[in-house]
Amino acid sequence: MTTRYDAEAAAALVNDAISGAACVDDGDLYLDSTRLVDAVRVLRDGGESDLVFLCNLTAVDYERHFEVVYHLQSLDLNHILTVKARLHDHEDPALPSLTGLFHGAHLQEREVYDLFGIRFDGHPNLQRMFLWDGFPGYPLRKNFLQMPGDVRAGLPGFPHESEENAWPVPGSVPQRPYHPNDPAPPSDVAAVEGEEAS
Amino acid sequence: MTTSDDTRLAMQGTIEALTAGAGSEPVVVNLGPQHPSTHGVFRLKVTLDGEIVQDAEMRIGYLHRSMEKLAEERTYTQNIPFTDRIDYLAAMSNNLAYCLAVEELLGIEVPPRAQAIRVMFAELQRVASHAMANGTFINDCGAWHTPLFHMFRDRERVLDMFEMTCGARLTTNYMRIGGVAFDLPDDLLPTLERYLADMPENIANYEALLLENEILHARARGVGVISPEMAINSSLSGPVLRATGVPWDLRKANPYCGYEQYEFDVPVGERGDCFDRFLVRMAEVKQSLHILRQVVDSLPEGPYLADVPLHARPEPGEAYARVESPRGELGFYLVSDGGPAPYRFHCRPPSLINLSALKEMSIGGTLADAIVTLGSIDIVVGEIDR
Repeated sequence: MTTRYDAEAAAALVNDAISGAACVDDGDLYLDSTRLVDAVRVLRDGGESDLVFLCNLTAVDYERHFEVVYHLQSLDLNHILTVKARLHDHEDPALPSLTGLFHGAHLQEREVYDLFGIRFDGHPNLQRMFLWDGFPGYPLRKNFLQMPGDVRAGLPGFPHESEENAWPVPGSVPQRPYHPNDPAPPSDVAAVEGEEAS
Repeated sequence: MTTSDDTRLAMQGTIEALTAGAGSEPVVVNLGPQHPSTHGVFRLKVTLDGEIVQDAEMRIGYLHRSMEKLAEERTYTQNIPFTDRIDYLAAMSNNLAYCLAVEELLGIEVPPRAQAIRVMFAELQRVASHAMANGTFINDCGAWHTPLFHMFRDRERVLDMFEMTCGARLTTNYMRIGGVAFDLPDDLLPTLERYLADMPENIANYEALLLENEILHARARGVGVISPEMAINSSLSGPVLRATGVPWDLRKANPYCGYEQYEFDVPVGERGDCFDRFLVRMAEVKQSLHILRQVVDSLPEGPYLADVPLHARPEPGEAYARVESPRGELGFYLVSDGGPAPYRFHCRPPSLINLSALKEMSIGGTLADAIVTLGSIDIVVGEIDR
């Protein structure tokens, strides 16, 4: 069974090599974004961490900042570690690229660049991947296509929980304007005479 | 020096000037986006020196449907049908990985019968997906459609069983948060028994037909080789990684749905070439049938769905759950903010990440080898682009 590699132990390992490059917050390991490459190299090459396999690389937009999330796995010791880096510049976020350490980071960093607009400095081929060059904006940012009037992307609640979509009260049958059981035809139907509307 | 000598020298100079550049001018060839060997809408830009590949650059995104953005606007349950469309050749595995991630967020225990049914359908899906992968791979090697249709026969019977159980053949939408949507129909187990009885003979036929086949050896042996170190560094997974000799299988390494109860081997290759990937898939089909036998023999009774609220609101937090899909490590990373829909929905697609080393595998080989290499990786473009 894959165990979780202890974040405190990982932070101690990184801080021994590079002082102050790692901290633990809420059980997750956060790395200093300027010294990310060296810190991840320590985790990859350290005998007791041995995190040689980059499972997953993605990002999350927390609106005030971005978090880039790395899942690193040791195949021999069978443990996994979640590593995060926080990017406070929401307009132009940038992070050093891990392509020098993991060949598998090439495509995943390009995907994050394409959909979040996070630059990975040192990436040899940082182009848009799914979308075309010149596509306006970065779709997975929360403010992409933000609607006027403070309407936010996402699902604020279940549909039946809002007042306008509340379940009908027992005994009433909701009727739509064009329902065939309506007693009178809808009033906005134009009267016609032949082909001409009158 | 006579005039004829001058003329001859001048002509020789012209010929040398004309031929000096010949053979060194690279030619760019577009494979795809609409090309039968790309198994979808996938474009590979190959730079050729004669027949030899100098560079291979992939252009993807033709099937991008922005699943991850759409999923942020839908409830956890409404997202299950999306996962079918990510990898449409292994919809059951995608359903399963997503449901495991939501269950991790919600902290739900899945009943034993549901777990056994999940294992059953995940393994049936692996048999069907590998039949497709091996069939089209041999197609790419030049055996035009005969082995493919033999293997499609087996796949067809699996899809019939899916249809019998959940009404759909490709986009199954069968798994639910906390279990599966329906219990097994009465006639499923007899059908599965017949299938398990017939398959060993079919596989023996394929092996007799293909394993000693000289053309297949010539096309696939030593083609698209990758070393185990490079494979690990490139985050490859699934049969592509195991063909290099690394016995990494999440069903063994991180058992989910009670895989630890079943006995099976993890087949590995030796050389990391296209033929080994083919062999690993053939061997995995046998192991899947072995697991299916054990599941049928030990199928527990009980509920097939846990008692889960329809409108689930997980606590704020995150989960990364992964399964061994037919193509490799398929993971779902979900972030919840306590709302009815995922705040972030990310799929770790094995098809995309297994292409990380495609360039390295192809360079130095011929153009025809690059097509065989691409076929041996077994990509599904819906999963690459999402």
